[in-house]
Amino acid sequence: MACMHDHSCEDHDCSSNWSLYKHIDLSKVSALNEAFPGSVKSVFKAWEQRLNFSEGHLESNDGDPELLVFVPFTSDVKIKSISIVGGADGASPSKMRVFINREGIDFSDAQSMQAVQEWDMVENLHGVLEYQTRYSKFQSVANITLHFPDNSGGDTTQIYYIGFKGEATQLKRDVVATIVYELMPNPSDHKTKANSSGGLSHVE
Amino acid sequence: MVLEATMICVDNSEWMRNGDYAPNRFQAQADAVNLICGAKTQSNPENTVGVLTMAGKGVRVLVTPTSDLGKILACMHGLEVGGEMDLAAGIQVAQLALKHRQNKKQQQRIIVFAGSPIKHDKKLLEMIGRKLKKNSVALDIVDFGEEDDGKPEKLEAVLASVNSNDTSHIVRVPAGPNALSDVLINTPIFTGDGEGGSGFAAAAAAAAAGGVSGFDFGVDPNLDPELALALRVSMEEERARQEAAAKKAAEEAAKEKGGEQQPTSQDTAMTEGPSASAAEANEKKDDLMDDENALLQRALEMSMDGTTSSHDMRDTDMSEAAADDPNLQLALQLSVQEGAKEGNDMSKLLADQSFVSSILSTLPGVDPNDPSVKDLLASVQNQSEVGFVHCFELSMDLCGVEHLEFYYLVVMGKISKVVLRRRNVLL
Repeated sequence: MACMHDHSCEDHDCSSNWSLYKHIDLSKVSALNEAFPGSVKSVFKAWEQRLNFSEGHLESNDGDPELLVFVPFTSDVKIKSISIVGGADGASPSKMRVFINREGIDFSDAQSMQAVQEWDMVENLHGVLEYQTRYSKFQSVANITLHFPDNSGGDTTQIYYIGFKGEATQLKRDVVATIVYELMPNPSDHKTKANSSGGLSHVE
Repeated sequence: MVLEATMICVDNSEWMRNGDYAPNRFQAQADAVNLICGAKTQSNPENTVGVLTMAGKGVRVLVTPTSDLGKILACMHGLEVGGEMDLAAGIQVAQLALKHRQNKKQQQRIIVFAGSPIKHDKKLLEMIGRKLKKNSVALDIVDFGEEDDGKPEKLEAVLASVNSNDTSHIVRVPAGPNALSDVLINTPIFTGDGEGGSGFAAAAAAAAAGGVSGFDFGVDPNLDPELALALRVSMEEERARQEAAAKKAAEEAAKEKGGEQQPTSQDTAMTEGPSASAAEANEKKDDLMDDENALLQRALEMSMDGTTSSHDMRDTDMSEAAADDPNLQLALQLSVQEGAKEGNDMSKLLADQSFVSSILSTLPGVDPNDPSVKDLLASVQNQSEVGFVHCFELSMDLCGVEHLEFYYLVVMGKISKVVLRRRNVLL
């Protein structure tokens, strides 16, 4: 698929730039106000497939164009730009607002919170447009939430492809789940297989 | 095992004083709430449940979503009934409470008990429903109590606007003999979406059906499946025996009058003998073998006195070992058969050394080539009651009394039935 940038593509492969989709944790991707639960996963694919609509697309509920997409990554990434392919006939989103590293955002939060960055969007049926980010703010993104408050007049909002361009670092930004602090070690808390299944050493 | 945060909206309006659900609507609701909380926390330990009341002075959150069952049960206690229910506000506050749940990974669900008339109009309710759907909150509605004109339509409309992918449900519970919670147990509200019933729901259903102790025969099938099975089987066997005895009595009364009356009375006496022993077998503890021995001896003497050929002693007790062992299965099948079959079959079988020795070989600690066993077989074939007692004692010696489970071969004198019984002796 020839990319329609105004540079010659023989030098580099455009699709490799849009490879951040490989770092998306697809099982944890979720969307609010989607008409078919789970359909949001189909919009994250390779750049060459961005116009391949056979897998399904993300659609909002009838009469309600708002969409909220939560995208976690498997490691921290730096996002340079975002590309969205929307639907025809006013089913494309008209605005995009993003939030970084916040979990559990719902519509009321999204509407009241200050977004990290906002864009006015235009119809981008062939996926050639990309929206640049303020790179300094997108340096270590563990998850990103995209909020599409409105579309360009259609009944529903349809999104066929969401692409991220940037770099992946190997760092993982994980919330520390459980930490146990011990003032004094208690051997019964540290049962190892050797101890508990009748080895020579037996700790009571 | 869905990870879920649930808010239960309880209707404590004036309409809940009505007694058409036993003991009154509010109590029935409280029981149902307790059961739901239990079911949710059991299906996944990280589930949380919260409770709020919709009537009274206003919507009040009693418990924010928590996995602590005690807190929830305590807050249901001592609630006052009064006021009017505000369904819209109740659902919205529930949604807010769910929004601020601690674990954002939990799915959101609201369960509403709608017992009193709904004063909101359909449009408002549908809007609320759509908002719930947008924020992917599931809604379960329990429609009970007042049967207002517009109430079912309004509730159906709410459900239609909320429902995405069948995660939301509505249950209509009419007033009647069944308790509210019993009706709810079989609904998807309890069983979850297509999970087919958690263990809790199944146990609760058994409790509802079983009666006093909560389980059949007071034994939890989960804790001790073998014992529960043995008890259930003895019960069935007992019932079958009594039916057969009744049938026999009817037959024989029809066939031969007068003279046969004595044997039939003995017949019933005999069936009572083994039934007494079977009843003893149902005791869980302290079934001394001496008692059993004495009873069986008495039964045997009775069988010696009995003249007619075709009564059956149904001392059968189908152990689950029978399922595995074809020999045992055969023996049990034969022993459960109707009395029409003569005892000859059994004596023929007994005469078959190989069959008996194969059965004996399945007994732990019994060596068919042991001379004492061979003596036993010989004595058995002579069909004397002495053989029975010997057999009993022998098997005890062979198996060792210290074994918690042992097998003994019961051979009933003239009737010549081979029965294998497995007993749990609880020391």
